[in-house]
Amino acid sequence: MKTIKIAIIVTFCALSIGTDYALVGIPNVKLMDLIVFIGGFLFGSVLGSSIGIASWLIYGSINPYGSDPRIWVATMLAETLYGITGGLLGKALQSTSLSSQRLRLSILFATMGFLPTVLYDLITNTVYASVFGTPVIVAILLGAPFAVLHEGANFLIFGALSVPTIAALRKVVKR
Amino acid sequence: MTDKPFQMNKWILLALVVLCWALAASLTAGYYYYQYNDLSSKVKETIITANLGINYGNGSAIHWVNETKINAGSTLLDLTKLTASVNYTESLSGASVNAIDTIPNSDGKYWLWWSHSSYGWTFGQVASDKYVIGQNETVVWYREAYTANPQPPS
Repeated sequence: MKTIKIAIIVTFCALSIGTDYALVGIPNVKLMDLIVFIGGFLFGSVLGSSIGIASWLIYGSINPYGSDPRIWVATMLAETLYGITGGLLGKALQSTSLSSQRLRLSILFATMGFLPTVLYDLITNTVYASVFGTPVIVAILLGAPFAVLHEGANFLIFGALSVPTIAALRKVVKR
Repeated sequence: MTDKPFQMNKWILLALVVLCWALAASLTAGYYYYQYNDLSSKVKETIITANLGINYGNGSAIHWVNETKINAGSTLLDLTKLTASVNYTESLSGASVNAIDTIPNSDGKYWLWWSHSSYGWTFGQVASDKYVIGQNETVVWYREAYTANPQPPS
């Protein structure tokens, strides 16, 4: 692997963890999901997922809100959804220019930020329910405001930041 | 590597956006449905009072039954059944009142209801078994001609 790729991946992990701590006061609005997604888009699903797992390894173990090991593992694994989605989309758009049809691309990326988040929230709420002995449907319904905030925020973040970030990083990675 | 332009049918994109909206809206609706049921079950045993008037539409004065005690969450139909004899037909859109105190819908006049608040009289837009009575609320059954502009009880 090229040194520059390793440097970018390590930087991604650092960015992901750093922005998580910076945004700790705003629950469920994070840049981590976007960073993992972009990692997957540029370097493939495996590396993207690795960024997600590595980020949660640190953020989940030193978390101001505390953490249950089962929920921690679930969030770590669920975070790979963004890496996998990014990897698949990156493959599909491998030879596609990001400089034309920017609005359509941004809408596509926005939905690709939203849909894995729905699955992520379902997984984490289900695990939360089993850990605390709450009925799954109740956990999902009571967690809905946080889930919708998470999904809506990712829709906006992915829609606004994916295209310019990926376009800029493509130039660096191509060198 | 050739950089080809991005091509995606706009309808597929629109469908994806609508799917996102539908998922968010369903989750939000589910949350409020749960909260509504939870709150309803918590206040079910609470007793409230309400005032019911009946205007038979035959020139007689409104017959008032005030400060009737009823469980919170009860509907207008529940309140009416406590204070008068009601004949009604149930359907998918709710209970349709045929007669109150043996006075039926007749001569082009139908049993309609009005709720009174600080804004004045409000015409009842839903079936009486779909309208939940509030604390100290005043409601009047008014047998009147059903027109595009029904008049409030007087």
